Amino acid sequence: MLKRLLVIFLLTALVGIFSLTTSASPEGQTLIFGATGELRTLDPHVSVDNNAWRAIYYCYDRLVEYELGTTELAPGLAESWKVSPDGLTYTFYLRKGIKFIDGTPFNAEAVKFNFDRLLGMALAPSGTFGFIDRVDVVDGYTVNFILKEPFAPGVSAFATDQGNIVGPGVMDHEVNGDWGQDWLTEHSAGTGPFYVEEWTHGVRVVLARNDNYWGEPAKLEKVIIKYVPEAADLRMLLETGEVDIGEKLIVDQIEAMKGTPGITVFEAPSFCCHYVYMNCQKPYLNDVRVRQAISYAVNYDGIVNDLWRGTATQMRGPVPVGLVGHDDTVFQYQQDLDKAKGLLAEAGYPGGGFTLKIMHAPVIPEWRPMALVIQEGLAQIGIKVEIESYAWATLRDKLDKGDFDMSHGYWTPDYADADMFTWFWFNSENWGLAGNRSWYKNAVMDELVTRSRTEVDPDKRLGLFRGIQWIGTSDAVYLYLLQINYQIVMRDWVKGYVYNPMLLNMPNFPDMYIEK
Amino acid sequence: MHLSIRESDIKKRSSRDSEWRRGLRSLRRSPLAVLGLVIIGFLVVLAIFAPSLAPYSPTKMSLSERLSPPSSTHIFGTDDVGRDILSRVIYGSRISLRICTLVVGLTIGIGTILGIVSGYWGGWLDELIMRISDVFLAFPALILAMAIAAALGPSLENVIIAMVAIWWPRYARVTRGQVLVLREIDYIVAARAIGVHESRIIMRHILPNCVSPVLIQATLDLGEVLLTAATLSFIGFGAQPPTPEWGAMISLGRNYLRDNWWYATFPGLAILLTVIGFNLLGDAARDILDPRLRHGAR
Amino acid sequence: MPLDLEAVIPPSYDTMNFLTYIVRRVLLVIPIVLGVLAITFLISHIVPGDAAQLMAGPRATPEIIERIRHEHGLDRPLYVQFGIYIAHVFRGDLGKSILTRRPVTADILGYFPATFELTTTALLLAVVVGIPLGIVSAVHKDKMVDQFSRLTSVIGVSTPIFWMGLLLMLVFYVRLGVLPGPGRITGNPPAHITGLFILDSVLTGDWRALGDSLLNLVMPAFVLGNAVLARVVRMTRSSMLDVFGQDYVQTARAKGLIERAVVYKHALRNALIPTLTVVGLAYGELLGGAVATELIFAWPGMAHYVVRSMTSLDFPAIMGVTMVIALIYILVNLLVDISYAFIDPRIRY
Repeated sequence: MLKRLLVIFLLTALVGIFSLTTSASPEGQTLIFGATGELRTLDPHVSVDNNAWRAIYYCYDRLVEYELGTTELAPGLAESWKVSPDGLTYTFYLRKGIKFIDGTPFNAEAVKFNFDRLLGMALAPSGTFGFIDRVDVVDGYTVNFILKEPFAPGVSAFATDQGNIVGPGVMDHEVNGDWGQDWLTEHSAGTGPFYVEEWTHGVRVVLARNDNYWGEPAKLEKVIIKYVPEAADLRMLLETGEVDIGEKLIVDQIEAMKGTPGITVFEAPSFCCHYVYMNCQKPYLNDVRVRQAISYAVNYDGIVNDLWRGTATQMRGPVPVGLVGHDDTVFQYQQDLDKAKGLLAEAGYPGGGFTLKIMHAPVIPEWRPMALVIQEGLAQIGIKVEIESYAWATLRDKLDKGDFDMSHGYWTPDYADADMFTWFWFNSENWGLAGNRSWYKNAVMDELVTRSRTEVDPDKRLGLFRGIQWIGTSDAVYLYLLQINYQIVMRDWVKGYVYNPMLLNMPNFPDMYIEK
Repeated sequence: MHLSIRESDIKKRSSRDSEWRRGLRSLRRSPLAVLGLVIIGFLVVLAIFAPSLAPYSPTKMSLSERLSPPSSTHIFGTDDVGRDILSRVIYGSRISLRICTLVVGLTIGIGTILGIVSGYWGGWLDELIMRISDVFLAFPALILAMAIAAALGPSLENVIIAMVAIWWPRYARVTRGQVLVLREIDYIVAARAIGVHESRIIMRHILPNCVSPVLIQATLDLGEVLLTAATLSFIGFGAQPPTPEWGAMISLGRNYLRDNWWYATFPGLAILLTVIGFNLLGDAARDILDPRLRHGAR
Repeated sequence: MPLDLEAVIPPSYDTMNFLTYIVRRVLLVIPIVLGVLAITFLISHIVPGDAAQLMAGPRATPEIIERIRHEHGLDRPLYVQFGIYIAHVFRGDLGKSILTRRPVTADILGYFPATFELTTTALLLAVVVGIPLGIVSAVHKDKMVDQFSRLTSVIGVSTPIFWMGLLLMLVFYVRLGVLPGPGRITGNPPAHITGLFILDSVLTGDWRALGDSLLNLVMPAFVLGNAVLARVVRMTRSSMLDVFGQDYVQTARAKGLIERAVVYKHALRNALIPTLTVVGLAYGELLGGAVATELIFAWPGMAHYVVRSMTSLDFPAIMGVTMVIALIYILVNLLVDISYAFIDPRIRY
């Protein structure tokens, strides 16, 4: 009996091996993307997660889009637009003849519905459009957005994922006044070049080509976003070719993969910044000299060159290089232990003698060794550092409550304007998760960042940004660590990828194709 | 653990001593048991003399030497911030021993006390303790430990607390079982009848006879405790950097397994060897302390 | 879960009494279940973190957070929340996961087949390989086979599951390429009927998927079943040895019955009883071991879901899944206890 079972098992295994060798990965124009983060919802008015945006972004269109590979704005669902002289009204002229994936027509009513839904549901993505007061339908294909006050980067907001236009068809699936949220969590309802065909939780999302797309149709028939929770596994899958393209691997892994035959590593500077928050409301850290001392104690070289192996550059001030508004003359801290000790003594703590805690989360594996380097640096000036690892969610919660001393973090801008860094990082109204994670309060700064938002004269804005960066640096509000390069790993047969620093986790699926 | 307790199993003090002597002799005859002793002895030596035995400090970073393969300068290689893995493994033995002894020690303490209370006095206290034990035993150990450790926050102390919270019911049951039988033995009944103080009875007659089964359970549990602690650390709930705990090291080394196999392999070997040592010791303990215990749990 | 010393002892092989035993045993389970619910509820409420905040997301305003808090009843006192929770559980409603935004029940049902397939295969492996190995070891006591199996048993029980899994993957997948990598299936999954890939493949005649999923099962099932395998071998061996020492076996041997008849007909049946108990009790270990296994092999099962919900503080999911796992474990133990008493009502513990 046992022997029989054994024989059956072996036979089936053999059949399996044979069948595996004959049926390789899916034929034709199918792209398999390996994602280390799992999706939670596909609803653009709920999600603030880049992992979800990767799947959602190309199922929808927006009024305004980024020019391929640049941060310039180009017409999307809107043929053109204009901003009123007082900066309080945006008028969009919409394209005609477009239908949503379920067949309902795209028009001004649909746009109004979309923003009513976004602002009505009032979840996290609605914050991006907090400057909108109301939406008015002028005629069939013209829409007016009335702002509460002028907002310089306002039009850019429409190109983000939060600006995805959701079709009114979702209301057919509405349950208990939820705006169709339950349904849209698992489906797509846009006008985009793809649509969501299937989502198996914890396994994969399958995007299929929208053959009725109003614009240039995609070359790929399907995009399969496969959930691979461990970076080490993703690497193995890329090497065996089971996955065509993947990102968010560890720096060391990517370095090892460079030069592997059949694999291309694409790398380019990005606006993503890794930095450390220093809670200005806590003892010791509330003294600017202590923060400066800490800034002088960190081994930036070791972090940039050894840990990140040159795939990042040290930040110079709070605004990353490449964004309009970045001031290249801003002061940059380097490790100088003597200066650090001197500052500590000035602050009243000669030789240090106190303990600080620094938090990190496993979501970014590089944070742990960075914390160790910081720990070592501060130990040399007499400050003891305790490293604590928290789940991402717990860490963010503690940030929001101010329940921490120091913490790792990263930030990517939603639109290409220095305001994405200055307003959020320094405004005392944004204490906590909203952006000002050092719980910093400075009336002068508040004034500067508020004015830079509403100022329409570009030169005056630049001046304001300069002031903000200088104060932010000399006040050592954050530990300005790294501006990292974006890296994405793909097989040689993946073509058509074009990098856009504003669309970091959303590779341009509509233009990509497979050539074996 | 299923125990068939017979009155004749319960020994008076004099016969226990010769039993120990017989046991030690049989120990010498069993090579596996000796191997277990050697392994654990080695571990204890490592833990005590770690500072002299480890070639480097376990926390000394050397960024330029990160991820170096095993060599003459670093026998086990270095990790991703350039720390010597051999030294970390050696210091890790301290942590492992600490976890095991703390958890087992505390659970024996708590469990035995509760078990004696439960068995000796019975009544509603017994019911209560047993029902609570049942509820705790209704969870697979790792799942409940994870839940508690997650709730309390990631740290080695919390992992120890979580495991103690889960493990004590086993000892409570074992002890209670012994006590229930012991309670009915002639000379104990007589002693109570003539008014000998309860605490004297417990200390002189009941407690000593509980030692054997508790000890057997404890040595068998040591290995499982280490594995559970390592698994919890691997998942992320246990030791925090820069503590060189073996499970945590494997977790970190996982991302480097492909090109830097040494990072995760050596700590794993350390765990494997230690648990083998504990298990061999546990088998030996069981063979010595109660050769008539046939229908054992394992 | 061991039987209590003064447990509900089935007095004699009388059907009526046996039924009473079952009823009493089941009733005993109810307060335990309530206790389990209480503990899972308590634990997930000690967890630091504001559930409403987490649900709302990072850029939500205080108004949004308060609204969500109220919607989910998080602003009511603890005992009220517990009461509501119990009422929901009995209706089969385990709440909505914060992470996946689906009902927890749907999540669990979705992830359960994967874990079931894994643990059952591991168990089958342990039994199918373990029992014969144990018998052989007992029959050839102290010879090479016996020493070998005892040695591998000790190693099997002592190896950390996650480490073994990592090394096996490194050797067989990365370096040698003979076994597939992490995941349940390499190509497309079979059409969904039960969620059990093997069953579904057979039912739909999808032989490629069958082979694919079987191959993917090899390493995880082996790693998971290892410790149980070791225990099964040891238990079978020791109970066979016990039985060999019994009078009636000696007599049969003396009478000259062929060894094989002796072994298979008399010894095996009696020796299997404690082995079956071990198998039943091992299920709890399997559920625990599945955690590490599913993490290493990227298996989309319940244990993986448990870890994720714990690290993300997904309260509803934590409560739901911990409770379900505990209930499964209780159920298995109950079945073991009942069948144990059924097989041998004279055994007293």
